[in-house]
Amino acid sequence: MKRKSIAMAFLLIVAFGFLAVQGAFAQKSRLVFMTAGDVNMLALGQNVFAPGFMAENPNVQVITIHTGPGNAGSQTIYEKLLAEKKANKAAGDVDVALVHEIFMKWTMDQDLLQPYAQMTNTWKYVTSPFAKTSLGINVEGYVMPLFQSQTAIAYNPDYVKNPPKSYAELKEWVKKNPGKFGYNGIKGGASGVAFVMGWVYAETGKYKKYAVTGPFEKAEVDSWEPAYKALKEFNKNIVITAGNVGTLDALNRGEIWMGPVWVDMFFTFMNEGKMDPKMRLALPEPGMPGQPMFFVIPKNAPNPELSRKFIEYVTSPKIQANEIVIRFNWYPGIDGSALKGSIPQEVFDKIYRDVTPADLQKKGLAFPLADYYNAMLEAYERWAQ
Amino acid sequence: MTSLQPKMWGERKLPPYVLLLFPSVTFMVLMYAWPFISSVLQSFFISGKEGGVTLANYVKVWELYRKDIAFTFAVTIFNTFLVGVVAVIFSVYFRLRQNRVSALLSAIFKLPIFIPFVVVSQMMNSFLAPHGLLNTALAQLGLVNLDKPLQLFNFAGLSFGFAWKQIPFAVLIIHGGFQMIDNSYIEAARSIGAKLPSVILRVLVPMNKSSIIVALVLVYSQIIGTFTLPYMLIGGKVPTTITVDIAHRVNYFRDFGVANALGVCSYIMVLLTAAYYLRSKIKEARQEVSQ
Repeated sequence: MKRKSIAMAFLLIVAFGFLAVQGAFAQKSRLVFMTAGDVNMLALGQNVFAPGFMAENPNVQVITIHTGPGNAGSQTIYEKLLAEKKANKAAGDVDVALVHEIFMKWTMDQDLLQPYAQMTNTWKYVTSPFAKTSLGINVEGYVMPLFQSQTAIAYNPDYVKNPPKSYAELKEWVKKNPGKFGYNGIKGGASGVAFVMGWVYAETGKYKKYAVTGPFEKAEVDSWEPAYKALKEFNKNIVITAGNVGTLDALNRGEIWMGPVWVDMFFTFMNEGKMDPKMRLALPEPGMPGQPMFFVIPKNAPNPELSRKFIEYVTSPKIQANEIVIRFNWYPGIDGSALKGSIPQEVFDKIYRDVTPADLQKKGLAFPLADYYNAMLEAYERWAQ
Repeated sequence: MTSLQPKMWGERKLPPYVLLLFPSVTFMVLMYAWPFISSVLQSFFISGKEGGVTLANYVKVWELYRKDIAFTFAVTIFNTFLVGVVAVIFSVYFRLRQNRVSALLSAIFKLPIFIPFVVVSQMMNSFLAPHGLLNTALAQLGLVNLDKPLQLFNFAGLSFGFAWKQIPFAVLIIHGGFQMIDNSYIEAARSIGAKLPSVILRVLVPMNKSSIIVALVLVYSQIIGTFTLPYMLIGGKVPTTITVDIAHRVNYFRDFGVANALGVCSYIMVLLTAAYYLRSKIKEARQEVSQ
């Protein structure tokens, strides 16, 4: 009899406990944050944004979903939103998405997003030109940049005393030092792609037309043959590395003396002890491309106000300084002047030592317009291989 | 053949085995047959554009990727052959020398089967690099000059990676087949004076032909379909493998047309072996029936 009542009591406790837990969850509103990008973006969402935002908003549960690196990651998000639209789903599953530039090209004419940026209280800090035009498309009001990532040439100062100041000087350097420059081609990650785009800008001198104004003309593509033939010659004296990380590893192991890298990956490797701290950066004339990642809110987001609140939190000067710049070594998505005083001098000096804010302004280029972008990649396969 | 026809066929009632087959056949059709057919179909349309059936995707494949297709084929054939030969040698060793050492070796040998390709790729990446573990170790022995290290991010390194991962898998299958062969055959051959090579080539291998073929067909189709190892070792190099090209077309261009056309090329390569395998299976079945 006694045993029976104990069992009964235990059951009751379990049942009540279950109800209580369910009740607690029911009261919390859910915010689904879907992010493209490498696994570092998942870590950023799960370990930084979600706990930080939930600490300030205890009745919100942030769920981070990761779709994968590169354009393919953004594409998955695009396909999800498109499928919801085709199914006429009034309230979608995604509250906030973090995407690459190319995503805007796919979605802007599909009516999948809502304009929200001007309504946020952090809009006043946004000065980046990328937040207005991206790959030649007007995106103003639909996006808030989380960060700006930039490519540059990393080099080993033990062997390279005077890093090349332009692509032309780099060509000469490679002739004198065969096998000591490495990049990852165009199929092993975007640092190689950025290097090739910069090459075309340098050879043709038509950055404005290809990346800003357009329009797309087939005749331009045909005019690139000499530029790519020159790149084919250049490629004879260099090594192709195994990916973005491959270039960094090869540089660190001393296999190569110079190579194009993502600046944020370069500094993160350094912070983690995977890169010799003596390595330096250079941004050759006419410059190399970089790209932002954008926050967007789907048109059918279930809680647009909550979505905005989340984006306001992440684009606030505090988070931008502590997480984006200090911890992850990106250039901030909002204006650097808003961060003054929030970033310790040594971090500021490290990040802006070789590539100064003035350099970034002048030589931090955009990737080409989408049609030129595709044409440049295919031209590489046609003429430079 | 007529004996295989069900007797109830003429009647309207569905035979019960249809019900039993239904779940598995539906699954096969939905999950394997349909994606395969749709992939072949999509290779004849230009991705994202209206328009009729076209060969444009195949023209592009020919213009841009024929070297890569040849490279993929060469890598696959070479490695299937390499894996086959080495796996037979190891399996023979494990079959004929059954002692503690061979038992230990065969246990260690199974390890790579459980290591995913992506881990193998990362491992090979740092092991085979110009200043990686292998080259620095050889340099310590004075065999290699680190200023001019062995370059292994190419056909050779790729083959090393594939062999490392696939030989144990092939051994597992082939050794299993050898275990089924009774000792008396080997003893009989030896008693009339057969040396080890003829025991292997004229007794063990012919009696185990079917499991060797199964192993080779599986290894062959796995190598053709592997993405991570070529991507992480020779990703941006020329030539590279079909799988890297497919990822490139989809990631950068969202061009499923050309990606599927490349896919069809790899299906054809796999179908060649599958056809051979099926034919030999059917032949075997016929022989059994006629006996």
